[in-house]
Parts: sequence; C-alpha cells; structure tokens
Amino acid sequence: MTVDSLRLPSSHAARAALTLRTSERGLLLWAIALGVLGLAVVHLAVYRSEPWVPVLAGTMALGGFVIVHAALCASGSDADEIVLPIVAGLSSLSLVMIYRLRPEYLSRQSAWIALGLLALLATLGTLADLRWVRRYAYLSAAVGLALLVLTVTVGVERNGARQWLLLGGFTIEPGEIVKLLLVAFFAGVLTDTRGMLMLPGPRRWSTDLARVGPMLVVCLGALLLLVFQRDLGLALLYFGVFLAMLYVATGRPDYVLLGLAAFTLGAVLCYQLFPHVRVRIDVWLNPWADPTGRGYQILQGLYSLASGGVVGTGLGAGHPELMPAAHTDMIFPAIGEELGAAGTFCVVSLYLLLLGRIFRTAVRAGGDLDTLVGAGLAAALGLQTFIILAGSTRLIPLTGIPAPFLTYGGSAAVSNFLALALLLGISGRTGQRFHGAGAHHGGPGR
Amino acid sequence: MAGRVASLGRLLAGLLSVLLAYLAAVQVVWGPQIADAPQNPRLAIAAQRIHWGRILDRHLAVLADSAEAGGHQVRRYPTGALFAHLLGYRTQRYGLAGIELQYDPALLGLPARNPWQTIQQAFGRAPRGNDLVLTVDSAVQQAASQALGDRRGAVVALDPRTGAVLALLSHPSFDPEIMEAQWPAIARDPSAPLVDRATQGEYPPGSSFKPILLAAALARGRVTQQAEFDCPGSITVAGTTITDFNNESHGHVTLAQAFALSCNVTFVQVGLLTGAQAVLRTAEALGLGRAPQFDLPTGAGHLPDPHALGKRGLAQIAIGQGPLLVTPLQMALVAAAIGNHGVMMRPFLLSQVRDPDGRILATYAQRGSREVLPARLAAQVTRDMIGVVESVNGTGTAAQIAGVRVAGKTGTAENPHGPPHAWFIAFAPAVRPSAAVAVLLENAGVGGEVAAPVARRVLEVALRAQSAGGNRP
Repeated sequence: MTVDSLRLPSSHAARAALTLRTSERGLLLWAIALGVLGLAVVHLAVYRSEPWVPVLAGTMALGGFVIVHAALCASGSDADEIVLPIVAGLSSLSLVMIYRLRPEYLSRQSAWIALGLLALLATLGTLADLRWVRRYAYLSAAVGLALLVLTVTVGVERNGARQWLLLGGFTIEPGEIVKLLLVAFFAGVLTDTRGMLMLPGPRRWSTDLARVGPMLVVCLGALLLLVFQRDLGLALLYFGVFLAMLYVATGRPDYVLLGLAAFTLGAVLCYQLFPHVRVRIDVWLNPWADPTGRGYQILQGLYSLASGGVVGTGLGAGHPELMPAAHTDMIFPAIGEELGAAGTFCVVSLYLLLLGRIFRTAVRAGGDLDTLVGAGLAAALGLQTFIILAGSTRLIPLTGIPAPFLTYGGSAAVSNFLALALLLGISGRTGQRFHGAGAHHGGPGR
Repeated sequence: MAGRVASLGRLLAGLLSVLLAYLAAVQVVWGPQIADAPQNPRLAIAAQRIHWGRILDRHLAVLADSAEAGGHQVRRYPTGALFAHLLGYRTQRYGLAGIELQYDPALLGLPARNPWQTIQQAFGRAPRGNDLVLTVDSAVQQAASQALGDRRGAVVALDPRTGAVLALLSHPSFDPEIMEAQWPAIARDPSAPLVDRATQGEYPPGSSFKPILLAAALARGRVTQQAEFDCPGSITVAGTTITDFNNESHGHVTLAQAFALSCNVTFVQVGLLTGAQAVLRTAEALGLGRAPQFDLPTGAGHLPDPHALGKRGLAQIAIGQGPLLVTPLQMALVAAAIGNHGVMMRPFLLSQVRDPDGRILATYAQRGSREVLPARLAAQVTRDMIGVVESVNGTGTAAQIAGVRVAGKTGTAENPHGPPHAWFIAFAPAVRPSAAVAVLLENAGVGGEVAAPVARRVLEVALRAQSAGGNRP
C-alpha cells in the first residue's frame, strides 16, 4: 500500500498533493532547537573535553522529525499538527537527560529514535490503515501472549524483573510491543461485539460472558504471565487499558465496577502470595525502614526531586547520578533535580497536551474502530505515564515501566513511534472528514 | 461512544493533575525540608565542594582555615593543639567535633544559599562558607596553656559581664590536623587527650565550694560575717573526723577570717547550721548539677539528694567533698556570677558570623542571663573572696596582681586517684570584674600553691588585652 491509501477514496482526487502544516513546522523547530541547545549545554557543562560526536548523533536523530514532517506534508496529510512537535519535545528532553546521566548511551538512544521514526514512516501507509486490526485480532492476541510466554521461559532477568528477551546481541522488552498488540486485539473484538453487549433489555450474564470471554482470557493470561515475570507495572497497565476500552465500547458501569473489584481482590491476593509485591508496597509506605537497602532507590528519588526546588540545579549541576536507574525508571526525578519543578511541570504539561490531542482525535474519529484504537492508545499512554511518573516520585508504589518517549530504551521507542503512526493515521482520516476536500492545510490542530 | 472517550480523558487528566499538585508539594513546599535530611548524600558532596569558612578569634586571628591539597580540601589549624577541644576537627572517618560540628551549616554557608551563589557555582567557582568569629582571645589562651605547662588540667576564662568565653583550655591536648591519621593512638592514650576537661571533666570542688556554702549560710541568716568560731584543727561529725590542712589549728576566728584561711572545721559547723536543703538549693541556683547551655557539649556534674544526705554527708559537702562533682566551666560561671552582682550570663563562644566578603550576618553580644544570687549576698561573698587573695595569711595570695584587686578562692580536692586536685576560681577587678577564671590541675597538689599562679597569669593577660584592644569585636 502507498501513503495515498491513507485517504478515503472519495476525496482522493480532490486532495491537493501537498499540505503545508505550518503549525507543525513552527512548533517542531522549537522542540528540536530545545533539544540541540540542551545537548550543547550538557556538553559544555559536563563533557567539555569529550568529542562532539554524540551531540551530533542526537541532533541528527531529532532531525528525523523534520523528515517525518516533510513526509506528512508530501502525502497531503490532514493529521493533527500538534502531536508530532510534542513528541519531538519529549524526545529532545529524553536525549538531553540521557546524555547528562549516561553519555555512553546517547548515540544508542539517538539510533533508537531514528529507528522509531523510520518505523513510523514505514507504517504510516500500511499499519495505519486499521482494517488489519479487525481481521487479525486473534492473531495479535496470540502473538502477544506468545511473546510473554517466551519472556517468562527464555527471558533474562534484570533489576529483579524477568522482562527482557535476548535477540542477536540486543535485549528487547516485549512488554511494550505486546501493549500495542493487546490494544489492537481489544479494539478489534470490541468493534465486533459492542453492539451485542449494549443491546437494551434484559440479558443473561452467561451470554455476556461468552462475548467478553475471549478478552478476559487473554487479559488474565497476560496478567498472570506478568505477575510471574514480576512486571507489576505492566500488569497494572494492561488491566487498566482493558477496563478503559471495555467501558468506552460498552458504557456499562457494571463491567467497570466488576473489574475494579477483581483488581482489588487480585491486588490483595498478590500482596499475600508474593513476597516481591509485599516488598514493593512496604518500601513505598516506609522507605525509611531500610534507607540503605530496599528503600534506597525511592528515598534517593525523593531527595533528588526535593533538591531541585523551583528552578532546579541546572543541567550538570545536580547529582541525579546518585539514584539507581536514573536514566530509566528514575529519569523523571532526575529532571526534577536539574530542571526543578519548572521542568517536571513542563513534562507533565507536555503529556497532558499530548493526551488532550489524542483524546480529541479519538472523540472525533469516524468509525468505531478508529475511536476504540485511539482511546486504547490514549489510555495506554496516559496510564503508563501516570504509573511511572507517580511511582518514581513516591505518589504510588514504584514499578519500573518506561515513561513514554522519555526513558532510555529501544523497544519502548520503536513501539511508541508505531503507536504514533496509528494515531497520525486516525487523525488524518478524521481531519479529512471534518474539513472535507477543500482543506489545504490545518488539521484538527487549527 | 464519544462522550465516554471524553470522560476517560478527563479521568486521566485528573490523575496527572493530582501528580502536578503532589510535585508542587514535594519540590516546592516541603522541598527544603526533605532535601536537608542527613541521609541525603548531596549534603556531604556539597560540603566537600564548598570552601569551608574560617574560624577566627576575637581579634580575627585565624584559628582554622581550608586549603586545597591533592584535589580535595583539607582543614588547617595554624594554632595546632592550642584550641583543639574548642574547635574540634573535621575527618572523613570519625566525623566532626567541637565548633566544626556545632556550626557546620554556617561554615558551609548553607542557610544563605542564594541565587548569586548558584550563578557563581555555574561558572565553576567553588562557593565559600561563612566565617565564624569567636569570643576567645588567642593571647589569653596562650597564657593559660603556658601557665599549665605539661600538667593535666583545664582553664576557663570568661567575661562576667557578657558570658563571652575568653579562653577554654584542656590539657593534654591533640593536634586536630592529624586526627584522621593518628586517631587510634590518640583515642587509646591513657591520659585521655580527647576529653575536654574544661567543659566535661567532673571533679570534686574541694574548698572552691566554700563561696557557695558561704552564700547559702548568709542567705539563710543563721550566721553573719562577724560570727566567731573555734578551730581546734579537727572536728568529728557522726563518727567521721574532718581535719584542717596539715591538722593546723586556726584557733578563734571570724567567719571572714575562716574563709580566707579556708578553715574546714569552721565551714563544717557553718554547713551543719545552714542545713543540706539550703546549701544544695544555692548550689543548684548557681548552676551546679545541671549541664550549662553552651556552644559545646557540657557535663552536668553531680549534686546529691539533700534528703538522702546525712549529717556526715552534709559535713563532707561543706568542704566540697563527698558525692559532689563540678566542671571547671561551672566553677568559672559561679565565680563570674558572684563578681557580676549575682547575675549569671549564659556562656558563649560564637560572637559573629561573616559572609565570605566580610559582611556581618549575625552578631551575638550575649546569649541571655539569669539572676542566681541577691546582689547584696554577692557583694558579701566578694568581700570575703578579696580577703583570700589580699589578707596576709590568705590561701590565695599567689594570685595577687599589682594594681588590681583580685577576688578568689582556692580549692584542694581529695580524690581516689592520687594527690589532690588543685583549684582556683577568681575574678578581677574585684569590683565590676571584666574577667573571671577557673583553674583546675589534676592531682597537682595544693590549690593556693599551684592553681593560683596560673589564674593570676591568665587574669593578667586577659585584663591587659582588654585595656589594650578594647572589646573588639
């Protein structure tokens, strides 16, 4: 399929071959300038005597966003113009902080972002047409579960969680890809069954169960695997996304209440059954009980965050490196230390804006499938962001999952950019629906 | 479905808004409080990066400074062992002590972290902590140290009008600069050089307790200074015989004469007349049995329970023996309070905090006062203390200074560790004193012979320094 197939056949002929996307261009330049400036500041402040090569690599990766922008313009896309600059801003900050915390990882993270952008470009025309979601719903679920089973059986353990697969010298984190596959599966199945689940009049639990059953099985299977993997954050995320999509599709509060009850029961059971769950909770409630052992990471996170104050110590002037896993789980407190509350508020605001744009896209989307995929991806993004940002700051118990577009890591980068491709696709169709054939520029961002 | 998508969005936005509120609380509202926890490793790192402030004496002579050596900061003490117990030390392994510990935040300049310092730090200039100006006078401290020689003991000198400590010396001492390397040897030394005898050494006061007993007796009104006593050279109370020095008989004496002669037999009688409760109440009022508030850790000494004290115990207390322990700092405060018309000034060491550019951030002229004796009583005790130094056969004549009237009291405290401890407490000029001193020499002999000359030397230097240099700062 070509990029052109993004658009509905009816408007195909009427479309200008080019959109200008001026808002996107302007905002994107600011976002990239921020990243390049930040990298230069870190280089001059901390690594003055080192070569400039990593900074160049980071700059080139950020330049990739311009190429995506150009591709969107060339394909005449009407997709939301705000989403890409926000993601570029988060990626900029991510590169700056990774350079600050682990300079040896900057080139690699730049490569991951470049790869993610490449995947985005490649799938704008293919995956973004969501018909595969419905056709291959069960295949998605099967592949997702298989990946999780593989992780549990032949995966490797790192930082106390068995969540990695070794693949030709690279370690990949399947959980991030599985997240997308599960959203696709739920969206595909719910598009088909929501009509029946919403039928008015008396109904029987048994028939409902038969409709929801496959999703329940997949969801519980994934949760079970994740709990054994000790990947509690991801388990929470999958379950939350499932509940959110079920609610959006059916509007039945009884499902949500039932789900929340099941979650509470499961959480209590896990606390009783698994020592590692207990440790997580106890350390969250009272990190001072073991300040140099189990409570160390969470306490260091608090000190880091608190040491930042309003404007932070400045890039390179703080000591976020004292935190274990500063470039992954604890990247948000690290931002809090060196950029202060100003920095953390900016980050949370960027996420809020991004969520706002995605939800707007989902609300305005044309078909059930588009709406469900959009809402699912938005729920996943929002929940994941909250779980890790609140976890690393001790608002909730810490469970290590990547902060979208921020944390160091390749699998997360690629799958997040794939999600972005799906969203731009949905948004492009929506934009066309709203503006009709006459629109030359300005999607929903206008 | 669109409505439900929107509610889902509102729910997630709500969650992130909660996070924003929480961040505001942790980073801004409680931030400084959380970050200042001692477990925060940033504090230790900051302490290494900051150029520690200097410690200066009252004439701004440098007592402690920092220098760069081998890539990290080392503390230098130009006066060596002279101020060791007072200044303390800074070590990686054994932590901090003394003024270095007490005023560590000020020396690091921590409370005054301002934007300007942050900017300087950004340009790579090591921030400087604040300088501390102490009340001590190097000349007085030096005189005390020389007068003590290599004998074990302590000297405390202070200004009775303000409580400013002029000298605070404990022998044997140590060199704070080599603590890191020499700690095990210094800590094991049987002469206990790490103990600050001036503030924490607890000794029986011997006859240096008599001014307190005298004040208690005069306050109770059972005796007057003209009251006459017989001294046959010894007295037996409840089966215990208390003798005078060398079993010497003083014959027929007035109370004032007995005080100048330090007649034990008379004061046992005075003690019995006054009663345990009145004696110990006065001792307590004068700060004995309680750790004085000070810039350094202080010992409380010990006062016995008056109800558990029999006649025999009271007789022993009357001559400063028995279950009665005091520190040199406490005795210096007692002397100072008597000289200062019964008003005891809280002792203190820190007189100024100055920022690196010399601007004065805080000045302390005094740290509080307490009336501990009626002025009339203080004047009566002062008159008798002058007699100790000035009367022909007084025990403290070795403390006489030409042209200055000195008031004092000797003490020779029996103890189970060997020869008696020698005490001398004094103040001068006797009327409106500007210096008070307590001298203690462990196992050194008779107070009037060994401690009084030390006190005289210290008072001389202190008075000369005050008349020469005024009362800077």
